[in-house]
Amino acid sequence: MIRLTALLAVLAAPGLAEEGRFSAGSEAKAWGVAGEEPARFTGRVVDILCELTGNCVDGCGDGARQMGILRDADGVLVLAAKNSQPAFTGAARELAPFCGQMVEVDGNLVGDTELMPAKFYQVQTIRPLEAEEAVRANRWTKVWAELNPDATGKGPWFRRDASIGAQIALEGYLGLGPETDKAFIDEWFE
Amino acid sequence: MRTAALIAALALPLPAVAAGERVEITGEVIDTWCYFSGVMGPPDAVTGSAHHTCAMWCAAGGIPVGLRADDGSVYMVMKWEEETGASGSPGILEIQSDLVTATGDLYERDGINYIVVADVVDNSGIVNVNHDEWGVVPPFAIPESAAQ
Repeated sequence: MIRLTALLAVLAAPGLAEEGRFSAGSEAKAWGVAGEEPARFTGRVVDILCELTGNCVDGCGDGARQMGILRDADGVLVLAAKNSQPAFTGAARELAPFCGQMVEVDGNLVGDTELMPAKFYQVQTIRPLEAEEAVRANRWTKVWAELNPDATGKGPWFRRDASIGAQIALEGYLGLGPETDKAFIDEWFE
Repeated sequence: MRTAALIAALALPLPAVAAGERVEITGEVIDTWCYFSGVMGPPDAVTGSAHHTCAMWCAAGGIPVGLRADDGSVYMVMKWEEETGASGSPGILEIQSDLVTATGDLYERDGINYIVVADVVDNSGIVNVNHDEWGVVPPFAIPESAAQ
């Protein structure tokens, strides 16, 4: 029933289901994820909370708010969910520096449309329309390192992030408390 | 300089603001990238206790958090009480994988449900205990050093 509802929603939303409509000229790298289609398009970078509710702040929140691209061709608000790094990192910090600007983005539309009618976007490059060169959407970890100078040691950011570490210390990797964790870990690494 | 900035600001198109619909949603807080992309497995594997650590990583990384209702609908969280949607704050990490009931304003736009959560009415904690079925997803979510 959910899948039928989703399918009907897709059919009822012109522009959302036209597979490959924005693929021409895309140089996006394939990630091999569900519903993936390369997509290069132009649009205006927006703070989604501002776009939907009128609650707007300077600089689109500097990466603390979810960002989207209001696509020129059809006026669709494309949710930018992911940047180009394979590191559990979103797109807000990549797009916020371009808040309000007209840009050309390249990346992949992604998503299982049986679960949700519209796809969201994995942005790989961003080019302000007046610029010749695009920038790669991969600054998240660099910004994290600047914001967390005390997070020393080896390993990727998510192993060294203090907030994540504190939450794991409190509720465990499974989120069910240290005792449940211990029992599972003993078995998991047996 | 200030005049130029003002002119530029006035030239920007205004957002297409519409009133949200007040709703109360009960659902699990999920990591939307892994859920919709299938990058780590089927939807059931990337929810609950099995995916809890990865959900925290993604939330801290600013990937949109979702609220998955019992009927399968997913609401993209743009604000969670006082926390903004990509803040990755401790408050956002704390609720990952929890079953919550929240009231807020729903905005449906271009095939996506967006929610601005005003109040969390109830939080039952993690109810979807699925690590016995799926292990941890991804398997490296727990480092070997945790076993020592």
